[in-house]
Amino acid sequence: MIGNITLGQYIPGESVLHRLDPRSKIIWTALLMVAVFIINTWQEYVMMGAFVAILLVISGIPIKQSLKGIKPLMLILAITAILNIFFVQGTPLVKIGPVVISYEGLLSAIMLFFRLVMLVIVASLMTLTTTPMAMTDGIERMMKPLERVGVPAHEIAMMMSIALRFIPTLMEETERIMKAQASRGADFDTGNILKRIKSFIPVLVPLFVSAFKRADELAEAMEARCYCGSKGRTRLKQIRFTRLDLVASLAGILFLLILFGTRFLMISH
Amino acid sequence: MATVADQGMHMVEFKDVYFEYGTHAAGQPSTPAVNGITESIREGEFVVVLGRNGSGKSTMARLMNALLLPTGGTVWVDGMNTAEGDKIWEIRRTLGMVFQNPDNQLVATTVEEDLAFGPENLGLDPSEIRRRIDAAARYVGMEEHMKHSPHMLSGGQKQRVAIAGILAMEPKCIVLDESTSMLDPRGRKEVIDLIRTLNREKGITIILITHHMEEAVHADRVLVMDRGRIAMQGTPREIFSRVDELKKLGLSVPQVTQLMHELKAKGLVQAGTALTLEEAEESLKAVLKKSGFHHPALQEPAVAKEPAEVIVSIRDLSHTYMPGTTFERKALQEVSLDIMKGEILGIIGHTGSGKSTLVQHLNGLLKPTSGSVTVDGLECGGKSLKELRQKVGLIFQYPEHQLFEETVYKDIIFGLSRLGLPQDEIERRVKCVLDIIGLSEELLWKSPFELSGGQKRRVAIAGVLVMEPEILVLDEPTAGLDPRGSEEVFAILTELNRTQGTTILIISHSMEQIAAYCDRIAVLNRGRLEMLDTPRKVFSQEDRLRSLGLDIPEITRLFRNLHRAGYPVNGHVLTISEAVRSISETMLAKETHKGGNNA
Repeated sequence: MIGNITLGQYIPGESVLHRLDPRSKIIWTALLMVAVFIINTWQEYVMMGAFVAILLVISGIPIKQSLKGIKPLMLILAITAILNIFFVQGTPLVKIGPVVISYEGLLSAIMLFFRLVMLVIVASLMTLTTTPMAMTDGIERMMKPLERVGVPAHEIAMMMSIALRFIPTLMEETERIMKAQASRGADFDTGNILKRIKSFIPVLVPLFVSAFKRADELAEAMEARCYCGSKGRTRLKQIRFTRLDLVASLAGILFLLILFGTRFLMISH
Repeated sequence: MATVADQGMHMVEFKDVYFEYGTHAAGQPSTPAVNGITESIREGEFVVVLGRNGSGKSTMARLMNALLLPTGGTVWVDGMNTAEGDKIWEIRRTLGMVFQNPDNQLVATTVEEDLAFGPENLGLDPSEIRRRIDAAARYVGMEEHMKHSPHMLSGGQKQRVAIAGILAMEPKCIVLDESTSMLDPRGRKEVIDLIRTLNREKGITIILITHHMEEAVHADRVLVMDRGRIAMQGTPREIFSRVDELKKLGLSVPQVTQLMHELKAKGLVQAGTALTLEEAEESLKAVLKKSGFHHPALQEPAVAKEPAEVIVSIRDLSHTYMPGTTFERKALQEVSLDIMKGEILGIIGHTGSGKSTLVQHLNGLLKPTSGSVTVDGLECGGKSLKELRQKVGLIFQYPEHQLFEETVYKDIIFGLSRLGLPQDEIERRVKCVLDIIGLSEELLWKSPFELSGGQKRRVAIAGVLVMEPEILVLDEPTAGLDPRGSEEVFAILTELNRTQGTTILIISHSMEQIAAYCDRIAVLNRGRLEMLDTPRKVFSQEDRLRSLGLDIPEITRLFRNLHRAGYPVNGHVLTISEAVRSISETMLAKETHKGGNNA
């Protein structure tokens, strides 16, 4: 049932990508995503594609898994691609009545599709190789400098990880409450929108009551286990920027240099 | 002031402790939740605290690790006063606490990270944390689940993780606040075995708060709480010999203890209190001499019920969750079963055997993957969902969690008001239901959130009963209730069955309840129907039930053992009253037999 879905989709492994510091992964994911938007020649597309393919191979994650993230985006992908095909002006390729498909339109649709696929793969490479816990740790550490200006970095990270922990629990609970109220005669499927929204009150009230109760009990349990914020707290898993991260970062920088270096070469010509 | 030497001997010491919650419902006299407790718990002791819901047990537990501070008196933990603010973390490190709901105390997304949570808070070195959590996980037998997510574990496993998380802080004392109440029998046994080992091997002081009387049997000492005070205290033997006093406090005793108590009251045995099956067996063997006398088989109660008419017909029912995905799970496989009008059918099987999946077909919450379910001529999964849900009332586990209206009245009529009945009919039904569940009319205008746990449960049940269903299905109706609360729920059910002829289906893990109340039992295992028969026939197959991870009532086991060993008792008793009858018949027969010889 719903509860069986693992959140964050982390797939255990021992690859280089798995072992990297989550901070390097977060930074490099961001950089690569920006790069995906900057590329615009077919040479750059090929290089980018090759690089992402290499990362995929290194991660040891089956391609099928990494492409799973695209499925829910398929509709958006299709719509944007179609819009591009029909509305980008240029050399006509095919003419069906008033509709003109241009060469440029087709090209930009393909490019856009490629870009979005790259984005999804890059993002899922991070979530597939990083546990939610490591991710929040990484975010916490990256926000650490902001603590001086009053950003509660530790608390934000703790909230994120608790949310991750409880999402499956609350999803199960929602399902259970809906079934119980349906058994009592609640009807979620008929009537106009207003009526349907109203019909969710019998689900939302118990869900909130229970969520607050859980929050209360969890806070108590955390206190009983000596939790008092980040002060004096150590971590089981130290995240460290290791030599591996250095090598990986250098490789990344090298790739970006090659990728965009050619542009400067061309300009200088 | 207690002297230092005095404090050194005690793990926990309460001196004239009071605690009052700041808020109480308007107009109610305030009774302190803890009302003058003076009590010491020795280092290394295994103490069980019994008491009804709301007797102050949980408040007492929270006072022990400074989650609450006494409003009067003093609490010492390992020589530290809980009211001294700077000692609070040291106190919580020394005295760990396991809570009731396994879901609401695990913080992290993997077992490993969760075990590390406490030690991390203590500011230990990463290598030391690693050493401790590995040791703790091994100790509780969870080392293979280190990378798993807590929500994938069973209830018993979750509680073992919670215990390991505390062990990793190397405490001297562990308090378990009803930590077994939400578990199935298997999970409960896992937890109880674990804490007994901890107490024995590591000398950790254990304070176990529970409603399950049989868990108290192994304790060094039992405290019984009532209205914020300690009403009784002593060894399990002393406590359980005072059966009538316990009953007055709304508690019960283990089945064998109850049996020996009743036999003694009838003057049939002289032996002392029996706490375990073995003890009862010994003392009964002493009075029942082996003999060639053949005990007449217990008569099945004369079948008063008419040759029954089938009300629910389940044919080749299969259900698969998330078919075609990696999460595909066959929850039910080709189950065929007829439910008779007016019967009480028990459904047993261990967690994951398909019990809940089965009953959710009866009111169309689930649709068959294949096969069919027909309720009184209505095809389930068809169009007549509304009609079906009026016929079949389904009450989920912890139904009180679904209460949401402003008043009890509105909550009770939530489903009813959708049927378009005239107002006076609604009033009539509400009145009638209040009678059945035994709640007074004043409660109707209260908020359901103000009621006690047992009252909430009954209100939630009332919300289904007002629909006047022909078939009532209950999933673990007494989970989390204390013995008296459970009795009240079963009294309601038997009354309904008797006076209105309601067909009742009960899912339960309590074999004692099933044996006492059901006409027939359906045994499920891995989604298949394994057995379907009268309780007497089902529970006579002990070995088969065992292989399915199920048990038989303690009293049935006792009499089977005696019967097998050649003693002249009935080997198939199901309830205490049957057991008493069997013994007295045997004794009587022996008397006349003896008399005949002398003549």
